[in-house]
Amino acid sequence: MGRSARRSGVTSDRSPSSRPLFPSISLKGSPTTSSSVSEPPSARTSLINVLSRPRHHAHAHAATSSASGSSSADAGIFTTEDEFSDMSSTISSYASSILSSSREASSEDIAKVYRDYLETPFVKIKTSVKHSEFGHCNNPNWRWTSQWNPDEPIHALEEERPPYHVLIATYLSYLLLIVLGHVRDFFGKRFRQSHYSHLMEHDGYAALNSDFDSFYVRRLKKRLDDCFARPVTGVAGRTIQLLDRTGPDDNSSFELTGGYTRALNVSSYNYLGFASSTGGCADAVDAAIRRYGISGAGPRHDASTLDLHHQTEKLVARFLGVEAAMVVSMGFATNSTNIPALVSKGCLVISDEFNHASIRFGVRLSGASLRTFKHNDMHALEALLREVISQGQPRTHRPWKKILVIVEGLYSMEGSLLNLPMFMELKRRYKFYAYVDEAHSIGAIGPNGRGVCDYFGIDPREIDVLMGTFTKSFGAAGGYIAGSKELIDRLRLRSHAMAYAESMSPPVLTQILASMASIMGVAPPLAAPAGEELDTMSVASRPTAYGPASSSTLPSWFSLPTPLLNGTEGREKLRRLAFNSRYLSSGLRKLGFIVYGHRDSPIIPLLLYQPAKMHYFSQMMLKRFGADKTPIVVVIVAYPATPLITSRVRFCLSASHTKNDIDMLLRACDEVGDALDLKHGKQTMKVEEVIAAAEELVASNF
Amino acid sequence: MSTQSHSSSPTDIPAPLLPLLQLLSSVFLTLQSTFKRIPGSPIIVRYIKSSYQDDPWRSLLEVLLIAFAVRTLLMGRTRGEGAGKNFIKLTEKEIDELVDEWKPQPLVEEPNDLDHLTLSTVPTIYGPNGARVKLSPAGKTVLNMTIPNWQGFVENEKMKQVAIETLRNYGVGTCGPSGFYGTIDVHMKLEEDIASFLGTEAAIIYAQAFAAVSSVIPAFAKRGDIIVADRGVNFAIHKGLQISRSTIRWYAHGDMKDLERVLQNVEREQKRKGGKLTKKFIVAEGVFENDGMMLELPKVLELKYKYKYRLILDESQSFGMVGAHGRGITEHYGVPASEVDMILGSMATGLATGGGFCAGSYHVCNHQRINSSASVFSASLPAMLATTASTAISILNSQPALQSTLQANILLFRQILSKLEPLPMTESGVPTIGSSSTAGSMPPPPVPNKDAIIHIPSHINSALIHIFLLNPPPTTEAEERLLQEVVDEVVSKSDVLITRARRLRGQEIFEPEPSLKVCISSSFSRKEIEKAAKGLREALVKVCGKKR
Ligand SMILES: Cc1ncc(COP(=O)(O)O)c(C=O)c1O
Repeated sequence: MGRSARRSGVTSDRSPSSRPLFPSISLKGSPTTSSSVSEPPSARTSLINVLSRPRHHAHAHAATSSASGSSSADAGIFTTEDEFSDMSSTISSYASSILSSSREASSEDIAKVYRDYLETPFVKIKTSVKHSEFGHCNNPNWRWTSQWNPDEPIHALEEERPPYHVLIATYLSYLLLIVLGHVRDFFGKRFRQSHYSHLMEHDGYAALNSDFDSFYVRRLKKRLDDCFARPVTGVAGRTIQLLDRTGPDDNSSFELTGGYTRALNVSSYNYLGFASSTGGCADAVDAAIRRYGISGAGPRHDASTLDLHHQTEKLVARFLGVEAAMVVSMGFATNSTNIPALVSKGCLVISDEFNHASIRFGVRLSGASLRTFKHNDMHALEALLREVISQGQPRTHRPWKKILVIVEGLYSMEGSLLNLPMFMELKRRYKFYAYVDEAHSIGAIGPNGRGVCDYFGIDPREIDVLMGTFTKSFGAAGGYIAGSKELIDRLRLRSHAMAYAESMSPPVLTQILASMASIMGVAPPLAAPAGEELDTMSVASRPTAYGPASSSTLPSWFSLPTPLLNGTEGREKLRRLAFNSRYLSSGLRKLGFIVYGHRDSPIIPLLLYQPAKMHYFSQMMLKRFGADKTPIVVVIVAYPATPLITSRVRFCLSASHTKNDIDMLLRACDEVGDALDLKHGKQTMKVEEVIAAAEELVASNF
Repeated sequence: MSTQSHSSSPTDIPAPLLPLLQLLSSVFLTLQSTFKRIPGSPIIVRYIKSSYQDDPWRSLLEVLLIAFAVRTLLMGRTRGEGAGKNFIKLTEKEIDELVDEWKPQPLVEEPNDLDHLTLSTVPTIYGPNGARVKLSPAGKTVLNMTIPNWQGFVENEKMKQVAIETLRNYGVGTCGPSGFYGTIDVHMKLEEDIASFLGTEAAIIYAQAFAAVSSVIPAFAKRGDIIVADRGVNFAIHKGLQISRSTIRWYAHGDMKDLERVLQNVEREQKRKGGKLTKKFIVAEGVFENDGMMLELPKVLELKYKYKYRLILDESQSFGMVGAHGRGITEHYGVPASEVDMILGSMATGLATGGGFCAGSYHVCNHQRINSSASVFSASLPAMLATTASTAISILNSQPALQSTLQANILLFRQILSKLEPLPMTESGVPTIGSSSTAGSMPPPPVPNKDAIIHIPSHINSALIHIFLLNPPPTTEAEERLLQEVVDEVVSKSDVLITRARRLRGQEIFEPEPSLKVCISSSFSRKEIEKAAKGLREALVKVCGKKR
């Protein structure tokens, strides 16, 4: 029953058909090219249509049944076009050029279609937001609600394994790299001493970096260096502008050529598309700079607590549905300076093995004992809890003073979601304190964007310490800690950051206020967002109703445009992100790639295994070899951020991506995946089939 | 042998692969005997035994390949103390009982009286921060002497303009760490600007100064290395030292003789023990955050060269504050910044934007880009904080007059307060309590001035001034309360905001004595300085003088 509630996302009263706004681009040699709805729906499709879109169904059916041939289907697109766009959209030359050649698109046609693809939308839209920062996408069917579906497993404990030959090849690659590296070191140290001076003793000084410690960096990572730390300029929005650079083959140095490349950005943590230089949030920040300047000045406890800090902290607490919150000027430091304020010697911290470096940093500072458990494995956690509680402290067997279990809501390298329902059960039984780092899940997960608690419908007040960062979904910087009032008061007294670190700067605070308020909507003006049937089921079953922000918590000088104030834009962003995530994750799986993580996660790791493929993948996405040359920037991650063999490419999707962007990404992955032999799973669909069945894939369980 | 136990469970291995497996095993055995001769082989062997017991040939391969890498990891990682020999076997029922019985302490303790005082005395600024602020929405304006606003950059209009321009090109957040498309051109520009301003080869910026300081130290100093540190260093350095797990030796705060003594001790010890040459660092601050004293840099450099140490110098306070252009204490003493191996600094204090940096050689900076956790695992600095920092640096470079105004203000303030100090200052401002004066924790000098009630160890050029009481009440709590009274008195009578130095009592390695903290800015007029200093003097006399 949840399906229908999750689907409908129409915010206008017109009832558009299910026809997508943009036709998919047909490629030569793939017959199933037009979008699913331009053909008579198969029994399965129509069943899902009935189930998932009661309001659109009749109209869609009428449109599709009248469109029997491909030419009339194309015409149909023209006629129904206007219904999707709020503001008298017209089809640009791109769209018509696709339409006119949709059967036999040549590579030139495709190249032409995509020429200015990243900068110019297909439809004309009256908005100040740049298409290159936030893609325009009006089709109400390309929306989804991120919410727990009990029929889907939360976390598969055994990830899919590649065939053995892939593993062997991976090990051999590393063996080769290591042997070669040592050979080079051996000769290098003897014949090119000047290059090794910083690794060797000299004049009685020990080497600054030990030769051994830096081996991985010098001999393995260096080969990939042109894929890391690529310099950019401008906003890390839907697209990003790279500064072109060149360097010798050994990546010892890079030089900027002065040129720029605009590329589709599936790498930044810009989940909700709030990284933007225009629009309501940027205008609010503009006003804040004029009013407050840019400096947070000294530490909070000296006189550097502004009214703006209090307002932000109140709003954050309201957003999360807890009593109080505290903001810190850096996300990393939020963990590293607050965990030591909570636990100390005699306490035990139990930490997921894949927890973020900042958490490990904080735990190490705290002096508490540390145990780790297998990633996201609640049974392992339970076994460990039983052991540590029954055994007590090592040697003395005295009971632990307290046990703090630190987990993340959404893991940044795995895309896996915390199994919160089971975690809470364990918490009740074993009485530990829960610390959930929602750096990636806050804003990105849950029907209201309130993170994993929202996603699973669990009362956030049951979690002792909620932590998160503003660098991701909110396009700002810094982090927060939230919980009960006693907790926050205690932390204000004991957090290192409050007494000694700089306070958060006013423009950053304003960005947080504006983006958060626009997700929540602001009461009282323009009461509830349109679309009354939304969340009917979820609200009923949910202990916490996440309400709008009250306008009194916001600064009086604050003026947000109506779509932000009434929460419609925020809601659209959440729903677009949810659709994009689920679509790409499902699509890649259907194409036969090994993909980790939950399908509702906007972080989608695709496994590459062999180290050489990392480099190729990154380069081939940037310099595409197919007909469509639109560059795509990706993040590749390898050891030590992941286990040695499971090197991967990690996509981070955003609400600013349009469906066309995801289509393009899928095509690009398909191209590269075939070229590099990456489809180690079972391919069940062709790429054009995946694109045509996008909505069906998103709606289905698997 | 471990290999035999491995191949005894080839449950899920296809038959054709078995010969391959055997081949690999024998290769492994020969390699293992070679390993035995390599130092560190026990670690590798231990790893083999514990890993992948049910997937033998995979672990054989893996062991060969990962061994090198894993060794690196094992050196620096908390593995947590496992159950070990001490393990007591219990039945499930017993465990259940123990679980039921176990009662954890509350997550947070009740706040005590001092805590309440701390929380209730944090002022809130309504409207913009700066030299003159409001403490309530409609309240009167007070002079703010609590923020590091040395050159008045907090209210600089030019910087605001630059920030808005940056906003319109870059947005606010960077949405990624610098390794993953978070390196923006303006970051590179700022790094160049800092490096050329200071005169070092390179620089690397961080998103927060506190995190920079506590993360740079462990990026270089590891277990087994030796760090000689000043006892008066700030909290962020303490945290960095703690993370590094190096051997720490303290020398008395600001005492160069003691530093040399410690260095000699270390040398002697190392000679006696022999063994491998280890990395050795001296860690100190330019102007100390805890009391405003200045490091005797030339002497430290001399010792550093003599005993072959590397110097990590935290200039979080002094960068932008001292030196003819505000380049920090290297400029103050006229030594090239490149002689200091790592200069840490803050853009949040001297430049009034945000973030921190480390300047040094290319190798030093590039090493951090991959090995310093606060740089690798954190989103990069918002673009507007970088561009405005660049602007602030160019202002510092082009307007040395700002520095002389600041110094004149500091001198005026110190002269007025010196009436309450043991050794009143001479007319010319030559400090009678020099830079090498005693620490806050040492017994104060003899008291020729019978009106003396305070003692200011801060350097005469330091805009950060800490005021200690000469005859404090017996308990720290009473002293904090007394100082808070002074703070309240000054704000209510003279409209000047100062603050008690906020500490994390119970978490500091060496508890600093309570003090008042005053920050001087070049944007105060002489009148304001006079009024503030006199007001503070009166309040001190009124609150602390009456006790005697
Ligand atoms: C789980 C987690 N915690 C904390 C952080 C640090 O946040 P920030 O980048 O804002 O410093 C990150 C960022 O990567 C993260 O993934």
